[in-house]
Amino acid sequence: MAATLCVKLLPKQGWLPFTQSIRHGSKAVTRHKRPVHFLKRKLLAVTQYIPPTRVVPKGAYPSETSRAPEDSDLVIIMKKDLKDLFQDCKMIAVVQNNASSAEDLLILKHKLYKHNISIKFFPNQVIRSFLSDTIYSNMTPLFIGPTVLFVCKERKVKEMLSTLRSSPQMTLLGACIDDTLLSVKGVVSYSKLPSMSVVQGQLVGGLTMLTSHTASMLQRHPAHLSALLQQYIKQQSPGSAEEAT
Amino acid sequence: MMSFIKAAVGGICRAHGHQQGYLKVLAAGLKTYDIPPDYRDVVLPEKPKLKFIEKVPNLKKVRRGMKRLRDIQGPAQAANAFTTGQYAIVAMGGGYLHWGHIEMMRLTINRKMNSRTTFARWRINSPYKPITRKGLGQRMGGGKGAIDHYVTPVRYGRLIVEVGGKVELGEIENILIEVAKKLPFPAKVVSRESLAVLQQKQIDMEQNNQNPWTFKQIAWGNMLGIRKVLSPFDLHNHGRFTGKFHFPGRV
Repeated sequence: MAATLCVKLLPKQGWLPFTQSIRHGSKAVTRHKRPVHFLKRKLLAVTQYIPPTRVVPKGAYPSETSRAPEDSDLVIIMKKDLKDLFQDCKMIAVVQNNASSAEDLLILKHKLYKHNISIKFFPNQVIRSFLSDTIYSNMTPLFIGPTVLFVCKERKVKEMLSTLRSSPQMTLLGACIDDTLLSVKGVVSYSKLPSMSVVQGQLVGGLTMLTSHTASMLQRHPAHLSALLQQYIKQQSPGSAEEAT
Repeated sequence: MMSFIKAAVGGICRAHGHQQGYLKVLAAGLKTYDIPPDYRDVVLPEKPKLKFIEKVPNLKKVRRGMKRLRDIQGPAQAANAFTTGQYAIVAMGGGYLHWGHIEMMRLTINRKMNSRTTFARWRINSPYKPITRKGLGQRMGGGKGAIDHYVTPVRYGRLIVEVGGKVELGEIENILIEVAKKLPFPAKVVSRESLAVLQQKQIDMEQNNQNPWTFKQIAWGNMLGIRKVLSPFDLHNHGRFTGKFHFPGRV
């Protein structure tokens, strides 16, 4: 019985299976584009034609990345303002304000307005791109974080420092006074400097010290002067006598 | 050519005096003397027009055949090169041309071409493949239908009509493009040189392909068992053809 069953199952040599695992959809040649098997789609995607890279001589085309993005109109206006600011104002201080409320700012502004110091707000990016072209390019590391500019046409450093001491949120980062960049320490020592007239007086005094001393001596009684001269001679002669012996 | 003329004219004007520096050479209407092509070796045949092609082949015994759609598949091996003409319509896909198409081509070309300077030749056979149709509203079964009409199968790359004579491409292009647009497969108008350029472009693409993986390599080596989803047809044609369609970007 098993033998007859086997004979029936394999009638002849090279038999084909009764069921073929082909889904009878459409034939190979169709009017439409037949849906492609996923694996064949992947194969076609992997084996796509990749053309050789064009060898362009260096400098033939401008590089795509090096083109600087153009400034918008607002940025141009802000840069113009900055330029005027740096030209007019002698003192420009960079201050960082951490969480100061509108009320605090208002009080601060009022205090500073009395000394003719104004507060200016500019975006950091604009300031950095502006400063990189000017002589103040070393100031760019100061402008990180929430920064604010204190500008003044006169050099009122002492008043500014006293006002800043009153508001704890404002931290002085640095200042540019008379085209000189100063750190916080530098600003403090600058404020401790005497005023210009005092310094000039000291300088004049130092220069004319000898002549003024002579003039004062001459103005005193002549007896005093003669006594001084005699003492001087005595000093000189014993000095020379001691040297001889 | 233009620059030479401009330099000559400019030189002559400058020779006149210093005041002529503002003189501008207007090159718009200047004639260029290109050498026209030489048609001395071209021999025009006696009957320059396309000859009439019959609708039905005259066979004693008419047999209905199988569909055999593979006569559309793949690239053409016959009639894919120029013989007598200079310009031709070449098929960019597979399809069947029936008598209507052939008549349209014949009438248009014969009407529009100048029979004294141009000649045209067929590069396809007259329709020989029978297409059967059952009557309207018939149910499945009941045997194969009767022969309705005959068609000529055309593969990709086969020339349909060849045109030659004492003409340049620009004159004949319009006529051939008009005909090529009406064919059931995408077709292109080529000259001998442009066909050679197309073939060379394909060879160049194969050679300077930067992709380290090619369809041919993967299919031949049966990498990843991909022959499960590829047919022997894909193996022969390296993925450039599917059914009657040709993919121009594939290599």
